[in-house]
Amino acid sequence: MDWNSQSSRIVVLRDAADGRRSEALEILSGRGGGAVIDLVSDLASCRARCASVAVDLLVLESGLRPIAGEPIEALAAIGPPLVVLLREADAAGALEVTRRGASDCVQVGIDAEGRLPLVVQEQARHGQRDRAHEAAERRIVELEDYTENIIQHMNSALVVVNAEGAITQANATAEEVLGAAAGSLLGGLVDDWFDPEGGEPSLIARTLDEGVSWKGEETVVRRSDGALVPVGISCAPMTNREGQRSGAVAIFQDLTEVKQLELQVLQSEKMASIGKLAAGVAHEINNPTGFIHANLHQMNEYLTDLRGVWKLTAELSSTVTRGDFAAAQSVAGELEALSRELDIDFVYSDFAKAVQESREGSERIRHIVQDLRDFSYRDSGERVDADINECVDSTASIVWTMMKHSVVLEKEYGELPEICCYPMQLKQVFMNLLVNAYQSIEARAKETEPGTIWVRTRIAEGGVEIEIEDTGEGISPENLGRIFDPFFTTKEVGVGTGLGLSTSYSIVERHAGQISVTSEVGRGTCFRVWLPERAPAPEPADG
Amino acid sequence: MAKAKRLPRLLLVDDEERILSALRRSLRREGYEIRTARSVPEALAVLDSEEIDLILSDHMMPGMTGLELLAEAKRRQPGAARLLISGWSQAVAESELEALGIRCLIAKPWEDAALKQQLREALAWSAAGTEARHTFGSRAR
Repeated sequence: MDWNSQSSRIVVLRDAADGRRSEALEILSGRGGGAVIDLVSDLASCRARCASVAVDLLVLESGLRPIAGEPIEALAAIGPPLVVLLREADAAGALEVTRRGASDCVQVGIDAEGRLPLVVQEQARHGQRDRAHEAAERRIVELEDYTENIIQHMNSALVVVNAEGAITQANATAEEVLGAAAGSLLGGLVDDWFDPEGGEPSLIARTLDEGVSWKGEETVVRRSDGALVPVGISCAPMTNREGQRSGAVAIFQDLTEVKQLELQVLQSEKMASIGKLAAGVAHEINNPTGFIHANLHQMNEYLTDLRGVWKLTAELSSTVTRGDFAAAQSVAGELEALSRELDIDFVYSDFAKAVQESREGSERIRHIVQDLRDFSYRDSGERVDADINECVDSTASIVWTMMKHSVVLEKEYGELPEICCYPMQLKQVFMNLLVNAYQSIEARAKETEPGTIWVRTRIAEGGVEIEIEDTGEGISPENLGRIFDPFFTTKEVGVGTGLGLSTSYSIVERHAGQISVTSEVGRGTCFRVWLPERAPAPEPADG
Repeated sequence: MAKAKRLPRLLLVDDEERILSALRRSLRREGYEIRTARSVPEALAVLDSEEIDLILSDHMMPGMTGLELLAEAKRRQPGAARLLISGWSQAVAESELEALGIRCLIAKPWEDAALKQQLREALAWSAAGTEARHTFGSRAR
């Protein structure tokens, strides 16, 4: 017999008042084994025992009589199965016993010796099973609560959809991101939110159709108020026991703030670059302003000269009209003398030259200002088709103002297809690279030879390649691996933000392109940026 | 002294031709003999070939800065007044100017009347200096 091998716990309740030995205890303990048997004599102790330890079975020795005034229903209601020992006198009560809530009964003197252990064993087993069942149920409820808690309180939005794309679960964060009322997402189609344009299938739809997963992809959802919100989404298919696709689970995060911060970093890095350029640009504007200013002053003097000549000419005309030839002759003499004194032929020709030169100067200023304005624009936030040669060239012409005294710029532009991109962001990359090239040339030991910067563009592997090479001081191998790290700089405090190259890196990454560098100390550095002609669709995380 | 009094001779140096043209225009009636140079080597060639009373040089030029040119000019013609003109917003350190005996730094864009005044003063000062040196030299003899 192994019924007690699991250390069943049995509570025997007997009427201590009748003074008899406990028959149940005698029968059961005679069997040996590990059952733990407690003897109690009133209902309160029995309840207390059941409350403090896991009791598998109650055995009542005192038949159907009320125990301390309470009926046996009260005992049966405690929980564990109840087996009642009936005296001969109670023989008729077998049915009554089960009717009143007990699980089974045994007749003392008839079959108690043989049956009680069997009944106890069976009932104890039931009791154990019931308790296990209850514990499992409790555990399930706990787990459900636990999971629900996690789902509802996680920082990410979560939706679960069935194979038809209907939302079967959504947490509070999902409702918040989508601007949906509590509970209103359930049953709705996920593509109403994730594919608002009805265009290409949404990432979730593709997970349902193709079984692909996504990890941290950027996409757009339309909130209930109509606003488009950028989100980062991870999504995986779910399968049922038969291995069929049963739906998908997706978590996503509102990227609005992240995007804004990114733009701010981008813009402030650009402003820092523009600050670096400002001195060069000021010089470039001050030169033409200088000569235009001086020319204007001089032209005013020329005007005074010409006014004097004009006055005499008018006088000459009037004397001739009057027929006063003597006076005319005298005025003509004055006119000639004045013209000679003022070198009026020179004044005429130099006036014209001053006007021409000043016009060229103002045109130059206009160009510089135009370039600067183009450069400081922010992208509209949408990709457009752009001519990369134009982007490179207009950037080079801005940077050129600061470097023209010490650098020879060699441009080798290839014929390029238009690229779908954020042109302003790319210009910023080119500017960072050009300014770095210039600064690295400036940082060389003093040399009489000017440095050279080559700017080359060409078609390469389904896209275009932009190469910016310099004859500057070069980058040491130990620094080469860190140059794209944020805040890494070898420049003096205040010269570099340490964000230029890391910003460039993330811009190129945003274009699904690549940026690479080769460098040799003392010889120079070459940066290569490769950009795909079309930004590829996002790649599933599981290939 | 029997030496004929000649017009003060100015050397204007700038890599920007339009600046030279405008300066020449401004100074046309100031009674100067004007030489111009568009690069440092050109300017040094002028300094080697004739006596110059005042040299007005741009600062940022390819190859060598105006400061470097003026330092060289001080060696070749110490009697010439030295002035620097620049559109570069980064200020040149005062100490550097003083060390080279440069009278002033003129910012582009310049004010015509002020420029003329500064040139006159610089010439008067260097002429006085030259005379003082001569006087000192004769007394020492």
